[in-house]
Amino acid sequence: MSRRSLFQLQISWLPSRIIRWVLGVAILILLLWRIINVTVVNAKYGADTWLRFAISGLVLGGLYALIAIGYTLVYGILFMINFAHGDVMMIGAFGGYFAFEALGAIKIPNAMDPKLTFLNAYPILSVILAFLVGMGIASLTGYYLEKIAYRPLRNAPRLVPLISAIGASIVLENAAQLLFGPQRRDNANPILLARGTGWEIPISGNTVILTYTGVLTFALSVLLMLGLYMIVQRTKFGKAMRAVAQDKKTAALMGIDVDDVISKTFLISGALAGAAGVMWGIHTGLVYFFVGFLPGIKAFTAAVLGGIGNIPGAMVGGLFLGLVESIGPAALGINFQLKDVIAFTILILVLIFRPSGILGQVLTEEKL
Amino acid sequence: MKSTNLRYALRAGFTFAILIIFLILIAFDVTASSMIDKAMGIDMAKTGAKTPTITSLIFFLSLIGLWNGGNAGRGQERLGIKVLAGLVAGLICGLLVGVFSFGLGTLNARGIDIRVYLSALSPDSVNFLNYGRGPLVGAFLHVVLLTVSGVAGGLLTWALGQKGWRRALSSRLDNAWSAESRSSFNNRISRSPIFRYVGIVLLLTILAILPRQWGSYWNYVFGIVGIYIILGLGLNIIVGLSGQLVLGFVAFFAIGAYSFALLTAPEPHHLQWNFWVALVVAVILSALTGILLGLPLLRLRGDYLAIVTLGFGEIIRTLLRSDLMIPLTAGPRGVRDIAGPTIFGHPFNTDVDYMYLIILAVLLTIFITQRLQYARVGRAWVSIREDETVARATGVDTFKYKLIALALGAAFAGIGGVLFASKNQFTGPEDHVLMVSINVLCIIVVGGMGSIPGVILGAFTLKGLPEILRDLELYRLLAFGALLVVMMILRPSGLWPVGRPHLETEITNNPPDNSSTQQKGEPV
Repeated sequence: MSRRSLFQLQISWLPSRIIRWVLGVAILILLLWRIINVTVVNAKYGADTWLRFAISGLVLGGLYALIAIGYTLVYGILFMINFAHGDVMMIGAFGGYFAFEALGAIKIPNAMDPKLTFLNAYPILSVILAFLVGMGIASLTGYYLEKIAYRPLRNAPRLVPLISAIGASIVLENAAQLLFGPQRRDNANPILLARGTGWEIPISGNTVILTYTGVLTFALSVLLMLGLYMIVQRTKFGKAMRAVAQDKKTAALMGIDVDDVISKTFLISGALAGAAGVMWGIHTGLVYFFVGFLPGIKAFTAAVLGGIGNIPGAMVGGLFLGLVESIGPAALGINFQLKDVIAFTILILVLIFRPSGILGQVLTEEKL
Repeated sequence: MKSTNLRYALRAGFTFAILIIFLILIAFDVTASSMIDKAMGIDMAKTGAKTPTITSLIFFLSLIGLWNGGNAGRGQERLGIKVLAGLVAGLICGLLVGVFSFGLGTLNARGIDIRVYLSALSPDSVNFLNYGRGPLVGAFLHVVLLTVSGVAGGLLTWALGQKGWRRALSSRLDNAWSAESRSSFNNRISRSPIFRYVGIVLLLTILAILPRQWGSYWNYVFGIVGIYIILGLGLNIIVGLSGQLVLGFVAFFAIGAYSFALLTAPEPHHLQWNFWVALVVAVILSALTGILLGLPLLRLRGDYLAIVTLGFGEIIRTLLRSDLMIPLTAGPRGVRDIAGPTIFGHPFNTDVDYMYLIILAVLLTIFITQRLQYARVGRAWVSIREDETVARATGVDTFKYKLIALALGAAFAGIGGVLFASKNQFTGPEDHVLMVSINVLCIIVVGGMGSIPGVILGAFTLKGLPEILRDLELYRLLAFGALLVVMMILRPSGLWPVGRPHLETEITNNPPDNSSTQQKGEPV
């Protein structure tokens, strides 16, 4: 029963809805006034700074979008928040890190450079291998996560799998901490992809560096998203997935193996999160046990922002959130420590004013 | 032996091998062995040994091996098959663990420090893992030990399975644990007033005497347990009774602690109010925060609300930690020299006094929640938890009652925060991390959602036990997480589930359908 069909209840909601919209418009005007004040009137930053913010925002947004797709896929099918998804990304980051370490330890005998390692001799192959390892491990983690922690709870009330997911997230984080230690590790990129190097763009008297890692990250995330979109829209498996998302029982009657589809969905979303993790390692260089938590929460925010259960929505939401998070503090003229506050505030505002997200359809009560 | 049995045994052995390897990787074997040593009366610190005794390691590993062997022949009746399954599972498990320990031992023997990547594996612990005898002998011993204990496990389960007494025991345990029999037991006790009053008087006497008798250590431990009981009962109103999953409970805790701290501390505002006035103001402020947060957000259901409140908690923490708030809340440094309570001008702030204060607050909280649970409000909450649409259709003002639940829960969180800040005489942003919310949630989930004795039991198990088992400190959070998952699969209604009042008689002969609350877990 959708909420909109209850006519009488609509009336009692009316005043609060008006208040809500008035409030929303007021907040919007205030924000706009503040942004204009900071950016145009005070003009604290030049064009180069804005470009730098925009680039880092897009890269971050690509990562958020990849992780957000995982949330959206799982939510679309099981109507549960895979709280441990950020930690799956962390596992992927560790996979990439160890792959780089292993490849960096292999010596290639060479007359020119006795210290040449596999990593620097074949950088492209190394990066591909690292991605394969990271994505593989992460997707296996996702697969077993579903099998162990979620499958026995398929028909339980909705809080039950969520709590189980929170438990799984704690397990993954602390297992990683106990195994690999609490310290932050520096991801060893091949020299070709050294962090901070890149093309230099001259703009308004300054140069902005478009880093190779950033370009790789953004390009790869767009590619992966396109690939996923093709899988969902064009293949038989994608069709099965959409069918299961719409109605599990009917899909099962049509001969679709629902359990298998769910398992594969977790494999795919795990692989995407793993790719995001490896990219996180390559781009930011930071790999440690808690690395998945904040990106995970923010990617969920992005998924909600775009309309949860909606794949293009997750992409748009991720890019939007990345941009806002990186430009926002400067545009609002507030401390950069508060960028996490911006993301969460957006989440709260979206859920107050448009719970169905930017691109989402109005969800029926069962799915909401 | 059928091939399916063989496959099951193989898989069981493989799973246990992974479990053992994981335990070795996080150096749990060393911790467990040293705990066994301690139980045997050998103290590592006194003997000066770097590692526990080998005997304890053998004991620990053979315990897991027994479990492995017993588990492999599950569902089988015949002795031969059980033993064979135990043998297969033990052999597989032993071989894998042996290969693993051989690899570790060789790396260690070559002088490579594995700790760079796997931080728990010190050379000493690897040496210990191989029984101090080198990689090859160590690996061989692992194979032998795990195989033998696997066979023994098979034998043992067969022996235990004889005459069906194991089954009888387990079914009796199940009966004893089932909610119905407990609630009837509770009813019997609570219906006889003499028992009840004698019990209450006895409890109060014990509570009045004990804080003076046990030392400051136990006062510290039970002080924490008490504060978490208050927090747990507060969250229990929100999550357990009204069914709204709030993950940002720490926000209310933080608001209570901080507003109390700022009102009473000399820095940064120089207000230095009286303890009791500040307490009341802090609690009201927490409740107000709950209402303000609830007004726009309580329309959301389940998972959305969980994430939004989680976000709210993170907002509060980030704000408290940021430089922006330094003039208001002293920023990352936190607030110091928070006042203790006074009674008629006399200071009331030794640890014994605090224990009394906490006990008083806990009793008050228990009383209030107990009364609320069976009042009109409580019944409205439960109806919302069970089915919000139906509750609304039957005339329950769901929004109002959800708001009341949130405000009350927040108020209890505020009390907890005040006691916590005042007891420590300090509060800082790091006291208010997400883990607090998760801890409290764990308490009510493990204890049993909606059940007051369950929450108390949960607080004692989850906050009291780890304080006592200091050796397991490192593994506490891991165990928490695993406990959450396992509880959700095997016993979603908690250790001490609510006995549901049966207000109507059963008409049909069918057993009541509990499928929505009691999930039948698959054997793990």
